[in-house]
Amino acid sequence: MPERVLMEGSAAIVEAAVQAGCRFYAGYPITPSTEILELMSVRMPQVGGTCMNAESEIEAIGMVWGAAGCGVRSMIASTGQGISLMQESFAELANAQIPIVAVNMCRGQGDYFQATRGGGHGDYRFIVLAPSTAQEAADLTQLAFHLADKWRNPVMIMGDFLLSHTSEMVSFAAPALAELPPKEWAVTGAKGRRGITLSPLGPSEKLSTDVAAALANVTAKHSAIVSEEVRVEHGFLEDAELVVVAFGFPGRFVKYAVRLARERGLRVGYVRPISLWPFPRHAVASAAATARAVAVFELNAGQMIEDVQLSVLGRVPVVAIGGISHDHSGFGVGPLLNVEHILKRIGQVYSGKEDP
Amino acid sequence: MEREVIFTGIGGQGIQLIANVLARAAAKEGKEVMLFGVYEGMMRGGSSESTVVIGDDVIQAPPIIPFTWSVLAMHSVALEAIARKLRPGGVLVVNSTLIASVPRHDVQVVEVPATKLAEQAGNLMGAGMIALAAFCAVTQLVGHGALVQAMHDSLPSHRKHHAERNVAFLEAGRSFAQTLDPSALAHLQNTLTPGSPH
Repeated sequence: MPERVLMEGSAAIVEAAVQAGCRFYAGYPITPSTEILELMSVRMPQVGGTCMNAESEIEAIGMVWGAAGCGVRSMIASTGQGISLMQESFAELANAQIPIVAVNMCRGQGDYFQATRGGGHGDYRFIVLAPSTAQEAADLTQLAFHLADKWRNPVMIMGDFLLSHTSEMVSFAAPALAELPPKEWAVTGAKGRRGITLSPLGPSEKLSTDVAAALANVTAKHSAIVSEEVRVEHGFLEDAELVVVAFGFPGRFVKYAVRLARERGLRVGYVRPISLWPFPRHAVASAAATARAVAVFELNAGQMIEDVQLSVLGRVPVVAIGGISHDHSGFGVGPLLNVEHILKRIGQVYSGKEDP
Repeated sequence: MEREVIFTGIGGQGIQLIANVLARAAAKEGKEVMLFGVYEGMMRGGSSESTVVIGDDVIQAPPIIPFTWSVLAMHSVALEAIARKLRPGGVLVVNSTLIASVPRHDVQVVEVPATKLAEQAGNLMGAGMIALAAFCAVTQLVGHGALVQAMHDSLPSHRKHHAERNVAFLEAGRSFAQTLDPSALAHLQNTLTPGSPH
């Protein structure tokens, strides 16, 4: 068994990225993602890679876009505010099918729409993965680089303040991932061949004048990703009358609360989406099929609840039991992030004392 | 089983450092560990808190826990709220030099005059290490040897010159625990709950 080391979630992500072959990182410091930049500035030079502390988020994503276009596994991290600035580049590089890994160490969970819908133009999608432990962050980071190259599509790791700053035991087993074809699309110099342009209209030698056809080519893979890349954890669903849906570190609070609710005799189960896009629609629907109600705990004003509603399609009531939760720091660790509070809200919905 | 320890005190007492030392010591002993610290935006005097959860299997507890197996309190600033999380029968180790009264009477209280012992040992800054070693001797959560090694590992390179003194502080804490009534100590150790069943 590989050695297990005590490290913060940020460090786990950096180490996993290094092991996945990430050799270019650019970023701009912002809490709670700054540790990733700090650690990358140490690790990248050690492995022959490059780390750039850019002068802005817009510049940083431009650098990552360029490095990834040259075929180098490349990563960027920020928090929602910084990710906002990158949206134009996200849309362009997604449509040009350039694989990158982006980490959002979100403040609370207010960036769910930003991550799963995006703020850029056109019909692009990010694959979004939300870990709930440092170990899972390491595993999903390795997977993220693989999926990005496999689908030639950006992948986002959705974390938060707690993931960034909680230390846990982590090990780095080499993941069993299929071999990927060489990146023949990459811009690696034009010696002995025609130059390549990376564009939403395809590579230069076949540059399409049919915009619709070119973009349809990009978006065709979305349905394949939806059918192949759903990831989800669930528990206690067999006889669950109430199903609680939550993601990321708050999902771990919910899992803990559901175990306590079970000890108190409540028939409650949970579904924790690991991939936020593609959303585990079938897992949520089948959990809801035998339940009286579905509760959604998320630290925002109600975002993932829309995906839950689209999964449940009105068959049972879907109730929000989370909300916006900040202390004075504004980093998303507020009073709602509390197992007893979650238990109380579960009890209220379970007993029907709350009108759904 | 998971055993939780919440450290509470004020900035400057080394709360984050001693929590880190305990977490690393448990990791050295092959345990699963989770560590999460929070502190106010001031270097001295603000509330400082850290949570360590130790178990044999992958830790299920979230970083902010509703109940705790034990509390190590160096200062009273946040003690009342944190002591409410103690399960009945849990251990509350207090720095009795600075904490005059304890807010719970259904828990096992151990008084360690850590600040006074640190002063006697020549440096007030040693109170945290003294209290940590006494806490570990009383609860037998980790061995003293692992604690000493973990302290060395926890110091950044520019603080390595404090290592020798910290070894002495850890020893002072362990020695203090040996002065406690052995039958009371045995009772405490025998009645400690195994931890939360996760």
